[in-house]
Amino acid sequence: MRAAVLPALTRYTYAVWHRHTLVWRRLIWSSLTSNVIDPLIFLFAFGYGLGAVVDKIGGMDYLTFVVPGLMAHAIMFTTSFEATISAYARFHLQRTWDAILATPVTLTELMSGEMLWAATKGMVSTTCVLTVGWLWGGVPDPAGALLALPVLALGGICFASCALAATAHAKTWEFFAYFFTFWVTPMFVFSGVFFEVTRFPGFVQALAWFLPMTHLIAVVRPLTVGAPLDAWATLGHLAYLAALSAAAFALARHRFGRRMFD
Amino acid sequence: MKHARNEPVIEAEGLEKRYGTVHAVRGVSFTIPAGTCVGLLGPNGAGKTTTMRMIMGLSRPSAGRLRLFGVPPGTLGRDLRSRIGLVPQEDNLDPDLSVRQNLEVYGRYFGIPAAEIGERVPKLLEFMQLAERAEARVMQLSGGMKRRLVIARALIADPALVILDEPTTGLDPQARVLIWRRLLDLKRQGKTLLLTTHYMDEAQRLCDRIIIIDGGRVLDEGTPQDLIGRHVRGHVFEVTKPLPPGFDDDGLEREDIGDAVLYYAIDPAELRRRLPAEATYLHRTANLEDVFLRLTGRSLREGG
Repeated sequence: MRAAVLPALTRYTYAVWHRHTLVWRRLIWSSLTSNVIDPLIFLFAFGYGLGAVVDKIGGMDYLTFVVPGLMAHAIMFTTSFEATISAYARFHLQRTWDAILATPVTLTELMSGEMLWAATKGMVSTTCVLTVGWLWGGVPDPAGALLALPVLALGGICFASCALAATAHAKTWEFFAYFFTFWVTPMFVFSGVFFEVTRFPGFVQALAWFLPMTHLIAVVRPLTVGAPLDAWATLGHLAYLAALSAAAFALARHRFGRRMFD
Repeated sequence: MKHARNEPVIEAEGLEKRYGTVHAVRGVSFTIPAGTCVGLLGPNGAGKTTTMRMIMGLSRPSAGRLRLFGVPPGTLGRDLRSRIGLVPQEDNLDPDLSVRQNLEVYGRYFGIPAAEIGERVPKLLEFMQLAERAEARVMQLSGGMKRRLVIARALIADPALVILDEPTTGLDPQARVLIWRRLLDLKRQGKTLLLTTHYMDEAQRLCDRIIIIDGGRVLDEGTPQDLIGRHVRGHVFEVTKPLPPGFDDDGLEREDIGDAVLYYAIDPAELRRRLPAEATYLHRTANLEDVFLRLTGRSLREGG
């Protein structure tokens, strides 16, 4: 049994990341549509629509409550999609991975490039939500919101690593239906995007705390609304995200290693 | 670490690969000296792809010894890995990027500085006759252009060894001839080429040496002329059945292929003298295809 493999940051990792940015720039309009317009539609629908119905939630108006949730959702969804459907297309359909592995780039560097790219794309989405949410008046603590960005980036690394671990097990496109239903959707509804986790019965809450999204929102929301953060709890949330990232990446690396090499 | 000029680029000794109960490669040995072009020929399922995968370090040999530049493929450092260029069987170009970008992106995977990539790309485009299509997207290219681009891509780091897996399959004759000319240029530049192909004319034209494998074993190897002389003598007479009654074929090298019998001869005049006047036959010089079919048999292989 070899030691678990952590992501690698080398110029070769950067070469893979750079390749993805070039394709992204080629396809920029369709990318921006799904990664920027989509979350903004959510923001508008929930901020405007639900905001009119819900008076106060957790002592704040609904828009303030939902902006950090939708920021987390933007990075969670964009990153999860990129590291599953798009990464699988490069691995399986376009055979881009085969082309890359015929060069000095290692599998760990290739996967690190994929993971960091997915997180980068997620950061574009989440930054757009933050900007619009702030212009709309839903970010009372802009300085705290800037501090939330690196936390969101850690979240993106975690979502990307988990998604790669799923992709490493995918044999067909249909496999991703399970991933989205049992992983992405629960994080959308149970992790505190639209209302507090405490509204759920105890066992749902317990399950919700397994999801990285719940920990991410628990840190991001106090930052954007300017509420106090408990140091130890915050450290715990961040540690959970980091530990899950490392475990998921190591699992993905192990599994892809067996698929690419025999 | 410098690889000496006269050392073999690839050395395989008793190479084996098992997948569970399947014994894909069963003791293959060969050496590929620097600066030569060697063809690895065999029907589908012969063990070619598995052998290539082991050479590329994608597959670990179950037994035997394999050395690239004197080092086992699994432990090649980046400096030696960057001396190998691969032309895969299937085009795995980046469909969304331009021709130029495909080369630039690939150069970065080899750690080549951007300025140097900028110098090499136009030369490679020129070399593979793609300069006019530099800004075209890959999905707009013809099959022949895509193949040329895949070859150009494999050359981005100026490799010492180029591995080509069926480089001209599915191309029209014009496109094939252009690729052959370029591969011969590479040989003249002193590069070592290892290629697989199902086209015997291609192998005969390009390869200094041929290795024929089937059932995971090397059946024979040598120059195309050696192999032809050894297995099919030099001349083939395809005599249509039924054979004429007075025909005495005692002591002749023969092979029954169903509706005809092939006779292999060194001296065509002698065989022609023995054939009765009423015999229907076709006489031609023997080629590598005759050798291949003779050695690997004429039955169809599964898995197209």
